[in-house]
Amino acid sequence: MRFFSCIAIAALATTLASGSASAQKPTDKPADKKDRKTAGANAGAPPPIDVKPIVAKLKSGDEGQIKDALDEARLAGPAGAAAAPTLAELLTRGASLPLTQAAIETLGDLESETGSAALAQYAVHRNAKVRRAAVKSLTRTKGAAATAAMKHALSDSDAVVRGTAASGLGALKAKDAVPDLFVALDHRVNEAAASIGQLCSVEQCEQLAAKLGRVPLDVMTSGLDQVLFRPAADINDDAKVKIIGRIREQGTLEGNKFLKDVQKRWPAGSSPRVRQAIDQAVMATAGGK
Amino acid sequence: MSFVGTHRCLARVAIAASAALSLSLALGTASCAGDSSRPSTFSTNWLDDQGKSIAEVQARLKNAPPGGNADLVLAVAGAKNDKLIGMPLSSSSAAGSNWTFQHPLDARPIIAGGVVVGSGNGEVFALDTATGKRLWARPTGGLALLGAGDDGTITAVTLSRGTGSTILVVGRDGSVKRQIETDKAVGDPAVVAGVLLVPWQNQYVSAIDAATGDELGRVTLRDKVSRADKIGGAVYFGEVAYVRFDDKIRMASQGGANRIGIPPRELPGTPRLFVPGTEKLPAVANARDRDRLFARPSSPEGPLGIDSNRFYATYFRLVLGFEATRGQLGWVHTHASDVIGGDAVQGGVLLCDEEGKVVVLDGRTGQVSFQSSFGEPIKSCVAHADTYKALPGPGGAGSLAQQIAEAVSSREASLATGQRLLLRELGTLEDESATKTLIEIASDSRAAPILVTDARAAIATRRNGTSYMLTALGKHYDFLRDVLASPPVGPIADALAAMKEPKGAPLLASHLLDPADNDDDVRRAAAALATLATKDELPTVRHFFTMYRGTAENDDVGQAVASAGEALLRLDPKDGRALVEQAAKDPTTVAIARTRLEALLTAAPDKPGGDKPADKPAK
Repeated sequence: MRFFSCIAIAALATTLASGSASAQKPTDKPADKKDRKTAGANAGAPPPIDVKPIVAKLKSGDEGQIKDALDEARLAGPAGAAAAPTLAELLTRGASLPLTQAAIETLGDLESETGSAALAQYAVHRNAKVRRAAVKSLTRTKGAAATAAMKHALSDSDAVVRGTAASGLGALKAKDAVPDLFVALDHRVNEAAASIGQLCSVEQCEQLAAKLGRVPLDVMTSGLDQVLFRPAADINDDAKVKIIGRIREQGTLEGNKFLKDVQKRWPAGSSPRVRQAIDQAVMATAGGK
Repeated sequence: MSFVGTHRCLARVAIAASAALSLSLALGTASCAGDSSRPSTFSTNWLDDQGKSIAEVQARLKNAPPGGNADLVLAVAGAKNDKLIGMPLSSSSAAGSNWTFQHPLDARPIIAGGVVVGSGNGEVFALDTATGKRLWARPTGGLALLGAGDDGTITAVTLSRGTGSTILVVGRDGSVKRQIETDKAVGDPAVVAGVLLVPWQNQYVSAIDAATGDELGRVTLRDKVSRADKIGGAVYFGEVAYVRFDDKIRMASQGGANRIGIPPRELPGTPRLFVPGTEKLPAVANARDRDRLFARPSSPEGPLGIDSNRFYATYFRLVLGFEATRGQLGWVHTHASDVIGGDAVQGGVLLCDEEGKVVVLDGRTGQVSFQSSFGEPIKSCVAHADTYKALPGPGGAGSLAQQIAEAVSSREASLATGQRLLLRELGTLEDESATKTLIEIASDSRAAPILVTDARAAIATRRNGTSYMLTALGKHYDFLRDVLASPPVGPIADALAAMKEPKGAPLLASHLLDPADNDDDVRRAAAALATLATKDELPTVRHFFTMYRGTAENDDVGQAVASAGEALLRLDPKDGRALVEQAAKDPTTVAIARTRLEALLTAAPDKPGGDKPADKPAK
């Protein structure tokens, strides 16, 4: 049953998304500068849709119509980004709890930075589910407001919110959040490891690797894996070889398993020096503890 | 073995060889015949003689030598509870040399005059208080030791026989001078110049001539009485209070005797001034020994009061000093380990703990003025001080608020009852640091929940310590900075609102948007902001109002929304009012908020031109 619902939604989404842009009227308002910039950068982004009907329903004040509008906007996804300001206004004005949750998720689906400020307000809502949804959506809407809200959310009392924020900061490429992410990792926000791996400088990556043996290996590898596969221009071979050396020093079977996995995925043509270090480390840790 | 006299003599005064006790006794007669003005020993058909007979006894004993004095702390120790350690006390120096005596014990030993009386292994024995040297021992047939009195020449020992009692009078040489058996439950006796003063049946004290066994006089007390004790040269009767054996004792049955008790007040646990003299105390201290009252009568003559005008309560590790007239808490001493015994001494209180430490606290300040040790952990402790005086403390004692803060900082569950009482005391102090301590407890995630509740209630009633309140409000839950408990926002909000403290407004507003604060705190913060908020807080209040008007999940937050609406109406008569009106009409606004908002709008109808925003807190 659920499978069929999914198909139905997917079909509707396809209709709305492909919805032949030519067949549609021009949008109510052109997407804002940032949206256009994003759209330009992302060649595969769907063309904007006409959000006038959605906006009208959102402004109707009728709960049923607003709900419909939210469904339509969600299905439109980033193509309906022009509805984001109205949706943000709805959140700023306040609505019932189910509508609020739906609006937050929809704003995330629209992936418009214009929604970030309103979403950030709900990242401190008393209901943890609302906060989780807000932080999750902020990961998609991005921008300075999103980064600030997610940094704040690292200290949330809810573990899911903390974890989502930690992951989100990596996705947002919030390099200035790395010190906070280290503190989070020290407080067992394990999701912070992967984000640190995505964002760390050479020194910070070293700092992360130094936690081997003190932080569970599966948590560590989620971050070190990110570091090892970052471009050489970002993280040099020396740093990567050092990290491999640290894992090798651990001499564990778990480490061996991870290194083997890295060995398998190591892109052909990538640094032969790092490759050699991986190969040697795999052999050295084969009889690990 | 014994006989009942022909003059309705109900007590069986046996002066016979007791096979059961294996005592060698001379035969004699009970004082049941002869002088009809005197009561028959322990008779219950005696008519109160309005103090006549006891007055005669008192007159006879008035100038009698006090008998042996004792200044001694005595501990039961050893793996098998078979070691007695005596610590003689001296006011001029520290404790004298400790002595030890090995003997199985089946009851708490007693310090009586110049002797220590103990029992165990089927015998009762006496030791010299100064040296611990054994003076004598007599078989008991296993009867339980209840009490003992001594006048320096003879020792009277009371033993329980189930439904009745045996009084054994023993000379210094160990010879039994008299054995009195009665079906009455007698208490702890005193002996003065050969006269036994024996409390019995919780209401009488009989004066019995040890030489003849005759009851010389009797007094009926209006207090429950099961103990007669010599303290500092005078004899006192009582159990719940001290009744002095002086020339006013003749008026005791009319309530005219010199009597002093401690004022009724709330105390930690249910401490007793005395254990009933009819109750056998185990050799090893129990829970009741950790919950005691100590007070000492002021002087053997003149007006009777409580020494140093202080009485003391112990509750596990806590020692509380109270003013004796009205019962006000004067000081609190937090001890390192559980106090299991002690005695009020002149100028203070002597206490021993389960680690074997002995301390004397200055009655005025609660400071330690003397400390010593038995040198090993102990099982129980008794003390008696006839002449010993506590030295004054070193001075510089912290404030009562600081002392309470230290006492309540311990997280031992056993102390919670005492700590709750102290928190209530703290709440009544004018000292600003009391506010600080209450906030610290209420913010401590590891504090006992009941203490947190009490501290929160006390904070709400504080009217000083504003700076501590504002500092506390500056803190928020912060997982990464290990701040895992929110401050007591609600109670502080109540207090700041009552004090009309405008500095609280921005801080309270920041807590409106802190999801880690509990619902009650948010409700109270919003209520305070309804009167304290200024234009500066308007954006936060508006944010809160709009975010929760439709998403409030309980009445507390719903009421907070209404309070925020109240602030909006006051601060922003134009736009704020429009927002409130809109929310009041909107069916998605939660019911509890909508009802209150409608009421607010009705109570404050829109005034034409009334759009001047208030930039000051409401009066």
